[in-house]
Amino acid sequence: MLQILIQGMLLSGLYALIAVGFTLIFSVGRTLNLAYGAYLMLGGYLYFWASQSLGVPKSLAVLMAMAFGVVLGILKFRLIVKPLKGDHIAVEISTLILAVVLQAGVILIFGDSSKILLPIVGGVIYVAGAPVTYNMLIATLASWTILLSLYLFIRRTDIGRAMQAVSMDTKGAAICGIEPDRVNLITWALSGGLGALGGVFFASYTQLAPSMWVGPLIISVAVVIVGGIGSIIGTLIVAHIVGFMEVIVVSVLAPELRGVFTMGLIILVLVLRPQGLFGREEL
Amino acid sequence: MGLRWFHFAAWGLFAFGLALLPELVSKGTLRTLIFANYLAIFAISWDLLSGRTGYISFGHPFLIGIGAYTSAILTKRFGVEVEIAIPIAVIVTMIAGLIVLLPALRIRGSYFALVTLAFMELMYQLVQVIRPDLTGGTRGMSGIQTLTRGAVNGFYLSSVLMFVIAVAAWLLLRTRIGTALTALGLNESAVEGSGLSTTKLKMFAFMASAFVAGLGGAFYVHYLGSIAPRALFDINFVFTIIVAVLIGGASTIVGPIIGAFFLTFLLEYLRPFLPGAERYFIYGGIALLLYMYQPKGIYAMVMKAWHSLHERAAK
Repeated sequence: MLQILIQGMLLSGLYALIAVGFTLIFSVGRTLNLAYGAYLMLGGYLYFWASQSLGVPKSLAVLMAMAFGVVLGILKFRLIVKPLKGDHIAVEISTLILAVVLQAGVILIFGDSSKILLPIVGGVIYVAGAPVTYNMLIATLASWTILLSLYLFIRRTDIGRAMQAVSMDTKGAAICGIEPDRVNLITWALSGGLGALGGVFFASYTQLAPSMWVGPLIISVAVVIVGGIGSIIGTLIVAHIVGFMEVIVVSVLAPELRGVFTMGLIILVLVLRPQGLFGREEL
Repeated sequence: MGLRWFHFAAWGLFAFGLALLPELVSKGTLRTLIFANYLAIFAISWDLLSGRTGYISFGHPFLIGIGAYTSAILTKRFGVEVEIAIPIAVIVTMIAGLIVLLPALRIRGSYFALVTLAFMELMYQLVQVIRPDLTGGTRGMSGIQTLTRGAVNGFYLSSVLMFVIAVAAWLLLRTRIGTALTALGLNESAVEGSGLSTTKLKMFAFMASAFVAGLGGAFYVHYLGSIAPRALFDINFVFTIIVAVLIGGASTIVGPIIGAFFLTFLLEYLRPFLPGAERYFIYGGIALLLYMYQPKGIYAMVMKAWHSLHERAAK
């Protein structure tokens, strides 16, 4: 029982960290970035390359991965999202194509086989007989810190308020003197950095593989759909619902059923309550 | 339907070309062509649902997989004749099409795309867990009865199937229903405002798409002789289908066929230089550039060039 609680908390923290960047883009730009999983993959691989091949200190390597994610986000917005002029379907399709291209690029450089990432912080602590790696603990703590500061950033700073305004009504925001393009650019950069950071932790939780982008993408989709757009608190709550559900299913029912309930939840919520559990009335 | 003599001439020429191909090319190329034919069928099926009505499906393998698995299970585990198994598979797929239709009645755009993606992932997980004695679990099934032997026969079967489906879909979309479906993609409320039932139209499009997907999936599995969940319910497979439609030209029938052949041959010609999955790097890159440059696809480019040639000749 306690084991389920601890494992659930840790996994949920990781999921919240993964999903928050995706939520940002979907809330502000109203577009699904299907290449979001690729940020995680590339962030993880860059960290692997920097820390395990070049021997860069781990904290610096994490920062490098984040910077890389930011650059990727900016490039993607400039080269793909902006030229398509807000055609959501076109953006979704081209990001899907991009994700497959990036996956092939990773195979080209690092090969097809999966790689084990050394934990960012080594060591294990035993809580009530259950092993908890420091690595997961750090990921959870980082996730909580990041989500909290992101919440404050969006609520308290001018840029954050501008992001809120654009997410509610792009034209209205533009009339008030906010440049939607600039806000979008910042959001894409932020989302890229968060995605890469999430990728480093996710890769150290599982392993590095060229196809690792699909799993986190599905989780992000689930969290955003169930939580509803424009709600960071919703993201946090739903990440815990999904995380606990998976841990309970794996330990009580069967490990193979892991994703079934998550998928079922997505379909159920989308059909019954399309705006999500905590989202604004939309659609 | 506004059929003109050159329509018959073009389709006749296409059929003639397909019939002549086995005399001209090697066995290896024929095997590639068979894949191109099946990809064209799947692309037409996707286009019927998404290209026309604007309800983008990211989970089309859900339908194809149900058709393929139903036929494979019926023939292999229950010893049903292939002639009976395939029609049953098509009917089951059409019922599955109704399941996909349910969310489309309430949500649209990105949300609908996500539901279909969730359907596909759900199917992928379920196939491995529920009754693995029937589905073969993670490893899938092999030794499924095949319909044809040899590349030439396989090519003729797939070509006939593709040709019949293409012509039928083409004729269907030239009727008033086809026009209404295209209008549905342009402006759904306007269609509703003109007194047409959007629910019935959507149901028709989904059923037609599921019919083609089930037929294609069932024949495909009886060509391959084996089936595995990861090869089928895979985001890369979705990617291949969607890219084939978009590169060729969405909401045309010729477009998906052009796209499917173009992509299959691109992959085949890259094989000597890049043997592994790296091919997708070039292939996806070309797809992305083409899509960004002309979202309407090769068909639109050819038509544009043709028209400008005509204008120049008229001057």
